Amino acid sequence: MSDAMRVDRRQFLKYVGGAVAVAGTATWAGKMLLPQSVNAAPGDFDLFLAGTDGWMYLPPTPAIPPFHPDNLAPSPFTTYIFGFRNITGLTDQQRTNQKNHAQHSAPLMWANQYDDALENEFRVKLTNLGLELRPDLFDAHTLHWHGFRNVIPFYDGEPSGSVAVPSGREFTYVYRPRDPGTYMYHCHVEDVEHVHMGMTGLVFVRPLQETRLTPGDNIGGFSKFMYNDGDGSTGYHREFAMFLSEVWAESHWADAHIQLPEWSDYRADFSLLNGRVYPDTIAPNAPINAAQSVHALAVETDGDGYLMAPDGHPELQYQPQSSLVRCNEGETVALRFANLGFREQAMSLTGIRMRVVGRDATPMTGRDSTDTSYETDTINIGPGESYDVVFQAPAHSGGSGHDTYMLYNRNFTRSNNLAPGGFGGQATEVRVFPGGTISDQQYPNDWGV
Amino acid sequence: MTRFSHLRRPKGRRAFRLPASAAALTVSLVMIVGLSSAGSASAAPVPKVGIICTNGVDGPSANEKVFDITTQTGYISLPDGNTAFMWGYSAGHDDFQHPGPVLCVNEGDTVTVILHNTLPAQTSISFPGQTDVLANGSPAEPEPSGGGAVTSLTNTASAADANGVGGGTVTYSFLADHPGTFLYESGTDGEMQVRMGLFGALIVRPTMGADYAYNTAEDQFDSSEEFMVLLSEIDPYLNAAVEAGKNFNMNRYHPRYWLINGRGYPDSIADNGASWLPTQPYGALADIQPYDATNHPLPGMARYLNVGTEDYPFHPHGNNGLVVGRDGQPLEGSGGEDLSFEKFAINIGPGQTWDVIFKWYDAEGYDPVGNPVNVTVPGLANQEIGVFYSGSPYLGTQEELPPGIQTVNQCGEYYIISHNHALFQITSWGANMTGPITYMKIEPPQPNGCVN
Repeated sequence: MSDAMRVDRRQFLKYVGGAVAVAGTATWAGKMLLPQSVNAAPGDFDLFLAGTDGWMYLPPTPAIPPFHPDNLAPSPFTTYIFGFRNITGLTDQQRTNQKNHAQHSAPLMWANQYDDALENEFRVKLTNLGLELRPDLFDAHTLHWHGFRNVIPFYDGEPSGSVAVPSGREFTYVYRPRDPGTYMYHCHVEDVEHVHMGMTGLVFVRPLQETRLTPGDNIGGFSKFMYNDGDGSTGYHREFAMFLSEVWAESHWADAHIQLPEWSDYRADFSLLNGRVYPDTIAPNAPINAAQSVHALAVETDGDGYLMAPDGHPELQYQPQSSLVRCNEGETVALRFANLGFREQAMSLTGIRMRVVGRDATPMTGRDSTDTSYETDTINIGPGESYDVVFQAPAHSGGSGHDTYMLYNRNFTRSNNLAPGGFGGQATEVRVFPGGTISDQQYPNDWGV
Repeated sequence: MTRFSHLRRPKGRRAFRLPASAAALTVSLVMIVGLSSAGSASAAPVPKVGIICTNGVDGPSANEKVFDITTQTGYISLPDGNTAFMWGYSAGHDDFQHPGPVLCVNEGDTVTVILHNTLPAQTSISFPGQTDVLANGSPAEPEPSGGGAVTSLTNTASAADANGVGGGTVTYSFLADHPGTFLYESGTDGEMQVRMGLFGALIVRPTMGADYAYNTAEDQFDSSEEFMVLLSEIDPYLNAAVEAGKNFNMNRYHPRYWLINGRGYPDSIADNGASWLPTQPYGALADIQPYDATNHPLPGMARYLNVGTEDYPFHPHGNNGLVVGRDGQPLEGSGGEDLSFEKFAINIGPGQTWDVIFKWYDAEGYDPVGNPVNVTVPGLANQEIGVFYSGSPYLGTQEELPPGIQTVNQCGEYYIISHNHALFQITSWGANMTGPITYMKIEPPQPNGCVN
């Protein structure tokens, strides 16, 4: 590409406010932004992720012989996985130790919308620690930000169109997130397998309306928002990511036992919320270092870099993210749904209306600014889709303790643990407390205790 | 349990074919022409990418377009090396093709479709989304069996004999009174006949012009970037049973293949009319130019259709399509409000069609001199190189690749994938990373060294 060509393109872009509209055409062109170079050093990164294999825990009974629980699984775990880990800040030795210590779902991560005044790129370095149990596979890994608009192949992580990261190597993906909202990320190498094996997580982008807000100011009574709405209509007090994934026990077993599953036989034996099934979904987050959770949840680690398990749940050491929603009455709560399972899900919230304010990282507005947001109590969400919803916590019913509302997959086969009766799978609780009970969140999915 | 023994044909005779002289006589009835040209059929070159329209011939009435459609049988190639026996609709009296021809008409046309049946079973064509359809001049209506239960959604053409001779004919007609993307498919024993391949796409161009999705100025697209994404599925045991005239328990229907425009990746990105896919004429590669306010201001258009029996969540990387219509209806409120929405996952239900305009914009304008990618690019030995990669992050730039690494990249063009995100469906009965996958090929600024 010649310099002249680049200048030509620039001079036909007209800058308007935070976004740029295209002059001289009545047709849809989407949002346009001015290309711009930034000042970060080439080696800088905001996050450092590692791809590797490991083990996690799903309810061992009822068993699915011979696939579940896997007889190779070290106690108390049951299921072989591939996954990502947040290794930001670990020493070289600690990083190396994390081979065969993947987690699922992948670290919840987030970035601020690109601000041309700050040139705030979001830079994620990825390394490949290899697969301890399957050295024969020598698979590369990538980071694919699913839904990132106008990506260049170099940063897309789709290995045929660009490059992938072999074992022991590193690559830095650089993003200038122009569009706030909820996305997901995953490894795109052999992605039928690597996605299903657990290299999947949620990523979201905070809007300029929030990042540019003067501390102490508010818009519509809020200081946190899902989109640049201008009026606080997507504002909220608390935020919870709800990442949906699935486990087909046979395919996980097959990877551990050097077998190949027939993917057209696919079934979701377990349906997971943030990497766990109910009631594990309401177990605590692993200990989180709030100060280090700038771009992703930073789970506290021991001297060897291993994850600290959630309090009282050693079996959830590699499933650190809680799905329990805790809030005070009257507060507005944001839920960010993303689905990287292979089936459509129907997430229902009993007793509370949800308002859908965004889908696929797009605010609910037509091209003529028609408000297309809507209220519902069930989110039908297909593979690869995201939904942004807000709800207002009802008044507390009085007395002590909390009121409980169930958030579950109305497709009942996805909200059980293969056992009859009772809830399981993709289900969690919304607990509403009397006003002033719960502290402000320090990070997404924080319980506020 | 459905018995197909009555569908059997003599061994060694795959499909009935007209004598050559008859074929020559009928060829003028159907014209397969380029994207928007209205030229004659016989020698018109087929564009390598994009939608190949089959335009009808003028009928006796004003604005009447007539299509002859013949049911045929044949075989298609699948990504794992298997073949599948199929039924299909062919243009005119042509040999078997899969899927059926893309019928293109204009809003306001009276569309006449004459179905000629050579299958050993009753069959029909239903036109979902069209109203007041006539069959042989009378209102089309469901056909009941002797017991009164409906067995066909619309009037049938009688079965042919075992040699494909003597089958019935039905003439359907309707007024194409609203623009959009529609299916046409067998209305008879659909769970078998549609799954065997009796389906195709119907495009009704709006009054505003062939380069508009609907009659809305905002829905204009670049006519050189119009693509079809027709998604389907195959259970090879059903097809084998039909071919052999054996029984098949429909309760055990279980797709093993999923296709885009009747092909599985990597065949999906081969040219239209690729010689090695003689019965699967439609490619799915989306060859586009980057958005440019001066030279390329209009978006492209993708017409999605799902002829399968479950939702297909299709995910184009790198661009949020703007969904402007579904099922042949623009996304507008009763007061003209714009209800269109952007999506990065097009989750399309069985029988649905979605009309999506899309583009790719070189948002960061990376170039090797003035605006390089702001990372330390690993050495070649420290990367795993993809088969479409140019060796360079930059559009229009090619760099050396390690010895032994093959790439199909021609001129530094970008390849950005689109695929079904129910990922178990991007397999072909054991061959992974196949099926409903295609690519968006982004051309470097013209002129470039790519051979198109």
